[in-house]
Amino acid sequence: MKKFLSLILTLALILSVCSFAAADDLPTITIMFHGSNVSDDSAVLEKVNEYIADKVGAKLEVIWGTWGDFDEKAVNALTSGDKDVDIVFTCSWSSDEYNSYAKKGYFLKLDDLIEQYGADLKAAIPESLMQAATIEGAEGKGVYAVNGFKDTATQNTWDVNVTLLTELGYTVDDLMAKGFFGWDEIFAKAKEVKGDSFYPFLVEPMVAERMVTNSIIVAGDAGSTNLLSLYLNPEDVSADGIYGNKLVNKFGTPEYKAFAEQMHKYYEAGYIDPALSVGETSNDCRTNHQKDASYLIGTQSYAFGYEYSADVLARGAEIKFVPCTDPYVDTTASQGAMMAINSASEHPEEAFKFLALLNSDPTLMTLMNYGVEGIHYTLNDEGLVIFNDEARATYSPWTNGVGNVTILPDTASEGKGFRKSFQEYYAGAKGIPSLGFVFDNSPVENEMAALGNVAAQYALALDCGAVDPETELPSFLAALDAAGMEAYLNEANAQLEAYLAK
Amino acid sequence: MTAVSQSAKKKIKAGSFSLNRFGTGTQSVFHLVLAAFSLMCIIPFIFVIIIAFSSEESIRQIGYSFAPLSWSTQAFTYTFQLGNALWRSYFNSFLITAVGTLLSVSITVLYAYPLFRRDYRFRNFFNFLSFFTMIFGGGLVPTFVICKSVLGLSDNYAALIVPMLFSPFNVIIMRTFLQTTVPTELIEAATIDGSGEYSTLLRIVLPVVKPGIATIALLVSLAYWNEWFLSLLYLNKNMEIMPLQYLLMRMQRNADFLAKNSSMLGADAAKAAAQLPSQSLKMALVVFIVVPIACAYPFFQRYVVAGLTIGSVKG
Repeated sequence: MKKFLSLILTLALILSVCSFAAADDLPTITIMFHGSNVSDDSAVLEKVNEYIADKVGAKLEVIWGTWGDFDEKAVNALTSGDKDVDIVFTCSWSSDEYNSYAKKGYFLKLDDLIEQYGADLKAAIPESLMQAATIEGAEGKGVYAVNGFKDTATQNTWDVNVTLLTELGYTVDDLMAKGFFGWDEIFAKAKEVKGDSFYPFLVEPMVAERMVTNSIIVAGDAGSTNLLSLYLNPEDVSADGIYGNKLVNKFGTPEYKAFAEQMHKYYEAGYIDPALSVGETSNDCRTNHQKDASYLIGTQSYAFGYEYSADVLARGAEIKFVPCTDPYVDTTASQGAMMAINSASEHPEEAFKFLALLNSDPTLMTLMNYGVEGIHYTLNDEGLVIFNDEARATYSPWTNGVGNVTILPDTASEGKGFRKSFQEYYAGAKGIPSLGFVFDNSPVENEMAALGNVAAQYALALDCGAVDPETELPSFLAALDAAGMEAYLNEANAQLEAYLAK
Repeated sequence: MTAVSQSAKKKIKAGSFSLNRFGTGTQSVFHLVLAAFSLMCIIPFIFVIIIAFSSEESIRQIGYSFAPLSWSTQAFTYTFQLGNALWRSYFNSFLITAVGTLLSVSITVLYAYPLFRRDYRFRNFFNFLSFFTMIFGGGLVPTFVICKSVLGLSDNYAALIVPMLFSPFNVIIMRTFLQTTVPTELIEAATIDGSGEYSTLLRIVLPVVKPGIATIALLVSLAYWNEWFLSLLYLNKNMEIMPLQYLLMRMQRNADFLAKNSSMLGADAAKAAAQLPSQSLKMALVVFIVVPIACAYPFFQRYVVAGLTIGSVKG
């Protein structure tokens, strides 16, 4: 027994010595990003760790989540209380993670940390973004994530192939004067010139619906197939739309019917590729036709400066993005890319200090986002960034997913002063009247699941014009009613009214 | 004796009729069904190879097709240019499959053998222990916590091998196989001749159940070769040890995610989608994945066929 006890005591002694020895080393904080394409981060992390050792007092490790596996990885890390993940990306567009995870207590409330260490962060990020991140969470109302300053407003645009349009003898002004309901003639001419297998109207059907009816996504609505619409005032996005501040059944309005009918006309006339009406092929088809500019008019949810991005420049035609409305700030866009601290993290202070530095310090942001100067990019005479494509192939994080992109240097393809105009463009964006409203769908979860199934069956085909709304729309609406649309809508409207009354 | 069987006997004697033989009509129906089934298995594979060799231009214009507008080996050239990442993950796949199969088969046989021996006292208990996990699992999150925090299975090869080492289903197959092929007398005889327990297992029983072991080895190696979910769960920072299947799966999942969320992500999704690998590249990787495991089949087939016949009543 004595032997056993002495053994234990000796072990305890050794362990405590070990932990003292370890205390000299800096703690490691781990951050998990979304949408990255990184296979070699060694050069970047070496520089980053050198840079943050004094400023943050920690070492950084990164989990480079990709588009496809981030959600699964993040859910696992958060639900299992994984201490090895300190900071995770979060947002409200893919499955409303930010609001629901904050409610479930996975995220740390940051208000105290902001008070203590966040002076620089507050100066770097507009007040409105802090407001957008302030929600009702597990520990009461507060900020549960650092909101990245990116394209924080939504703006849908017609993606116009100007080269082809000019060839057909029209101008962008002609196009906009005729409007969505009057493009038959132009499409017919495009078909005539480019041949029968050419489809001039390259739509993303659900985006087209929002563009034509001037409706927007409601945060918290059913995921990939939205059921609710909030109508905007296209003349002034901060004023009430035609239905006031009221949510409506997306498919039940006369505006929707008119849209579906017109799409059906275009589809029947062969102006829309049938591959766009099938969920599995829709995106591939769009990307493929965009690549070689084999379309006349498309739809694009726009971000300032998108026309200067590599993939648009590579299309080999002059592309112009013609907006439907001014950019508007809604809940979904203003919670588009955020970084939250895992409530299980053992180093929340260091984690927050790192986040604050990342979002306010241009050196660190450039390092994390663009890589190391001399390896991943070089600066030209004007001080503009020129990427080294080969090195960037092994290190390209999702630019907007890292944090405050307004403190990044301008790139050569964007031109000097780009980030400044970017900042001004979004700083000037107006909020919609119900900005900040998130529909809490938990009381009507069952209805939402049933409605989602019904919508998945009809919505894409109707939006794309593949079926006749004359016959299909009534049966769709009847199926929605049977699945509990009224209860769903009433709950959403009751919540919106309560929110606006506050 | 009826008249029919009398005439049948005569026919057998004359050598014109066999009891195992079907009529020509029946036989051609069987052949048709089997041929259709084989075609259904092989056509997708041929299709994949055709797509891998189709030019990107052709896929863009007419989609997947058995007769592409033009051919190209670009996807394979590009795959070879992927260089290290590809060969590294190819090597990982082989390593994980080889080590995993070896360990898993040993564990399965060693677990199944005592369960087959009627003189083993705790037979029922261990039978139940393995069978229970077939019906009730711990669920994803608890499994993840145990594997990662308790067992330290994170960012290492063990994380891709250990969680799949033991499969109750395979144990049951092995146990049943032992029961049907190894008579108790054989073991008794060995014991009487002075063979110890280990010697009996290794020198007497194992050679008899080779077909069973081959069947399990085939199942296990297939499972290891096709596994990608473990990589998704347990590989976070050390992507060097990623198997080929996950490399491919990641491309697929990225494309799916962007397709699903494109209307929410807007310009970012369009930028990311433009970076995705081409369709023909994906199919080229599929060819890389399928070929080695397809080569393993003929090797195992011999034993599997033997296993099918060995259990039947003889003499």
